[in-house]
Amino acid sequence: MARESLPHDWFDRPLPVGVRLGERSWLYSSFAFLHCKSRQPSPVAAGRDSGIYNGTFFDLGPRGTVILGNHCSIVGAIFCTNRRIKIGNFVFISHEVVLADEDAPHPWQANESDEVHGDPTEDGIVIEDDVWIGAQATILGHLRIGAGAIIGAAAVVRENVPPLSICAGNPGRVVGYVKRKSR
Amino acid sequence: MSSDCRDFTGDWDYRLLPANVRIGHDCWFERKESFARFRSEQPTGLHFGDRVRVYTWTTFNVEPGGSIEVGDDSILVGAVFMCARSIHIGRGVIISYHVTIADSDFHPVDPDERRRDAVANSPSGDRQKRPDFTSEPVVIEDDVRIGIGAIILKGVRVGAGAEIGAGAVVTRDVPLGCIVHGNPAREQ
Repeated sequence: MARESLPHDWFDRPLPVGVRLGERSWLYSSFAFLHCKSRQPSPVAAGRDSGIYNGTFFDLGPRGTVILGNHCSIVGAIFCTNRRIKIGNFVFISHEVVLADEDAPHPWQANESDEVHGDPTEDGIVIEDDVWIGAQATILGHLRIGAGAIIGAAAVVRENVPPLSICAGNPGRVVGYVKRKSR
Repeated sequence: MSSDCRDFTGDWDYRLLPANVRIGHDCWFERKESFARFRSEQPTGLHFGDRVRVYTWTTFNVEPGGSIEVGDDSILVGAVFMCARSIHIGRGVIISYHVTIADSDFHPVDPDERRRDAVANSPSGDRQKRPDFTSEPVVIEDDVRIGIGAIILKGVRVGAGAEIGAGAVVTRDVPLGCIVHGNPAREQ
């Protein structure tokens, strides 16, 4: 399979094999894959109309993958995982957000075996549709953030977050709920 | 526009570093920008043991009077060091993304003195006139893990094997093997 390059890229590397970007989606640079050691067929798959902007990194382990929906804006988040991170549609993720398997992760090295913890079919973090994650929030472990939820800036989230709730602080706690204007 | 990949892949020439940076065997430094704010005038301003890995987000902001030591097999992912005098990192330490470690507050507490500091520190100011600030050494002992976004402040000793949770703000010593979380960081 030919390795693709981004037409606008300043970083002189092709994208890893199997990275997929849907129609009208934008990725700032192959620099996002500087530490990507994923050996999965598709390390990152983004839907259509999603933007992956400056400062975003996919520091994936041998079993790590990220699946991103449609109409998402990822404005400089770090994905450091050896599991599968699933992001729904219409999700905002702000600056300096880190999504990771544990408190003190580091990028994988090329020679690390894929025997290490992690299962390519196991969902680590699941972010449902319409979620909004504020700047510097940290999302850790094995959890689900329900549809429409808001994560406050610098929150540290270790547990499931119910749909339409507002979660803030360290440790992250539900501090309120939002109401849908329609439906 | 295409960049020089070596800057980002650890393949640049480490001999470009100042002579007071001592590097052990098999160390790896992703970006030379990590050292852009290294201003130490000490005989050894930075000392790395063997097999230390330093990723792109790490920076060594070292004042003329400062020195940092990093033990064997430590991994610095996104460690921002603010060092006026002394920061010691043991062996096998993992410092994750967006971490700050500072051995000083860098500014006086008194508002009038701080105003003098602000003037001296301005772009056209005279930095020699900056008031003295206090510094207390930071010591991170062996096998400590420092979580994403944690902040370690001056005078703190983190005991061997301790774990600092993501987002924790550490203002006091952490005993050996202890796990702390929160702001201010406390044992759970």
